Amino acid sequence: MRRARWHIVHIISAVVIAVLLGIHMVIQHLDDILGFFGVGNGEPTSWLAVMGRSGRGIWVGLYIALLAFALYHALYGLRGIILEVTGSRRAERAINIVFIIAGIIVFIWGSYIPLSLLSG
Amino acid sequence: MAIREVQHRQNYLGVGGWVWGGNYKLERYLYLLHRITGLGIILFGFFHLIETTFFRMQGQTVWEATMALLEKPWFEAGLYLVAVAFTLHALNGLRLILQEFGLALGRPHRPIYPYGDALRKKRPWTMLLVAVIVVLALLFLFDFMLSGGG
Repeated sequence: MRRARWHIVHIISAVVIAVLLGIHMVIQHLDDILGFFGVGNGEPTSWLAVMGRSGRGIWVGLYIALLAFALYHALYGLRGIILEVTGSRRAERAINIVFIIAGIIVFIWGSYIPLSLLSG
Repeated sequence: MAIREVQHRQNYLGVGGWVWGGNYKLERYLYLLHRITGLGIILFGFFHLIETTFFRMQGQTVWEATMALLEKPWFEAGLYLVAVAFTLHALNGLRLILQEFGLALGRPHRPIYPYGDALRKKRPWTMLLVAVIVVLALLFLFDFMLSGGG
């Protein structure tokens, strides 16, 4: 039952990522097309634009949420692939522990910098 | 436990089975592409996190130098591939989610001779999915071309 719950979270995270990453991709990478329709706001990767987004809570919240969901989705997916080639229970337990620790470290690393930039 | 593992692995083809295990159909290759794009996106995400944390913290000069490097045609082409991989992974994932909940599978029917097979089966939803992937890939390519490929 617990495994089924992890899998449901994996599916939910996929849907959330599709929405958040969709927003990120359109704003960051379709700037020329957005500019053509008069929606764009200049070069999205310029230092001014990047720092402007860093100072706005909504963008920081979006990035941290994206990081959390993407980390879970990626590590759970990678765990599934690795478990296909390693059959033992001991290996599964070791992979679970390593991935949970790695996920927490990367989440702290990835969210500390946006939060520190937001707080100035 | 050893017997259980042996029984579990009787038909185990190993990593090679991901690519070829006999009479694979379109869905099986979509599964393989889903894996490849997933692993590629994880690799890209790791580098992207380094770029947006370490390089951003080092100030405007380092950030602008990084962006100038990433605007080289090779990197732009790589980013285009990542965008296509994301599109494919997301839309195929949506198909998998729908099918997991029993949707978009079609009605079950009795096998009547001459039997239909997966190769001759019409797949309107799969075709629509492929069309959406192609349109989005072209959209990203158009944007890539507008930015001069670098």
